[in-house]
Amino acid sequence: MSALRLISNRTSQQALSNSDYTWDYEYYEYGPVSFEGLKAHKYSIVIGFWVGLAVFVIFMFFVLTLLTKTGAPHQDNAELSEKKFRMNSFVADFGRPLESERVFSHQMAEESQSLFHFCINEVDHMNKEKETQKGPSLESNTHFQDVAKSSGMFEEDIHCLTKFNIPNFVNTEQNSSLGEDDLLISEPPIILENKLVMQSSHRILD
Amino acid sequence: KNISDFSLNITDCTQIVVPEEVFFTVAAAGILENLLILIAVVKNKNLHLPMYFFICSLAISDMLGSLYKTLENIFIILCNMGYLTRHGDFEKKLDDAMDSIFILSLLGSIFSLLAIAADRYITIFYALRYHNIMTLRRALVILAIIWAFCAGSSIAIALFSYEAATVIPFTILFPLMMFFILCLYVHMFLLARSHAKKIASLPSSTVHHRTNMKGAITLTIFLGVFLCCWAPFVLHILLARFCPHNPYCACYMSIFHVNGTLIMCNAIINPMIFAFRSPELRSTFKKMFYCSR
Repeated sequence: MSALRLISNRTSQQALSNSDYTWDYEYYEYGPVSFEGLKAHKYSIVIGFWVGLAVFVIFMFFVLTLLTKTGAPHQDNAELSEKKFRMNSFVADFGRPLESERVFSHQMAEESQSLFHFCINEVDHMNKEKETQKGPSLESNTHFQDVAKSSGMFEEDIHCLTKFNIPNFVNTEQNSSLGEDDLLISEPPIILENKLVMQSSHRILD
Repeated sequence: KNISDFSLNITDCTQIVVPEEVFFTVAAAGILENLLILIAVVKNKNLHLPMYFFICSLAISDMLGSLYKTLENIFIILCNMGYLTRHGDFEKKLDDAMDSIFILSLLGSIFSLLAIAADRYITIFYALRYHNIMTLRRALVILAIIWAFCAGSSIAIALFSYEAATVIPFTILFPLMMFFILCLYVHMFLLARSHAKKIASLPSSTVHHRTNMKGAITLTIFLGVFLCCWAPFVLHILLARFCPHNPYCACYMSIFHVNGTLIMCNAIINPMIFAFRSPELRSTFKKMFYCSR
């Protein structure tokens, strides 16, 4: 690349190498570079650089993996119906359809472009399918739809999300005591905010 | 320069030349892929979102980089065939213009990645106000500012390239941006992990380390690809500035064309890790291809 002339000395008019890529000013004013008396291998910088880069990337990977150690895992698989039952109880409590109930189903995987829009659509589908009478949709739903339409979330396989989408509605009142509260914006409705943030964060990183 | 004492040792580090076919193939693939993304985003109204505009900006800068390489190759071929002289004034101006295109592409790439990371960050941490914070108009304004800054800087760097001072901010910018992007993503990652922890503490919940691992892999891929594709070139610039006559540095600089090819490979890989992860974009592609049959 000829931008190298910005660094190299342009006085020499001789092309020293038989490179095809000599542009109007010579690329590499290597000049008289003597290769005698080299202590280390001549490509040592190249090798050292690439090894260092690889080590750094692997190190970064291990650091990130270590960050993922989440403590004592519960290995037993929860029953889907059990989850649904719990969620139905939440529905009764909050009078609003739960978006997360549908994420456990895989058929919505090819829905629209955003996570929130996705969730809202799932809710709509669920409503149409089940034809159950839901509670009055709160205005927060439409707000979520607006957020959904414009936020453009990162779509991934939904079944990855199912691992995380157990709603922590039970912990609603305890959220303020949790450590990551400072990361979240306390805005109404606080109940779903953590869930949205959680979904979106897992969306992005899965 | 006194060339009489120059000794061409057999152990010299000769330029490692990448075959032109490889060059052109990689460049063409990069241009086509990014062009497809631009067309898809323009055609599909659902994709008129800030996030996709930032991805488009990345696609444009990747395209510029590959375009630069292609044009350079063409001009060198023309030079070798004798249609262009090597020392003419017109060629010099052309050379300047192409240098500024390359620097524009590099800066545009960095800032687009930063914009994508910032957009995702706002999506996570300001989820409910995202719609108000990142309106379409603001995204376009941000992109306009970014590209104006990059264009100005690239012209300035190309014009004042003979000053030593231009190299240093250029090479400082690169690790600084990378570090900042890394911080943004790690913060998001920590939030995801803390949520996973919360879920793990619920009774009878399933914890899947596999998905946590996937997050770590995703992050590593994001940043590893950027680093591996751009760092060799940045190191080249540094070495060419500070130790052009050192034999070790000279040997590193002999693999310059491989570094250039890596940058073009970045143009091919970037769409895969940013754009093609979106199902909406993928379905738009499918529609485009099936309709064209």
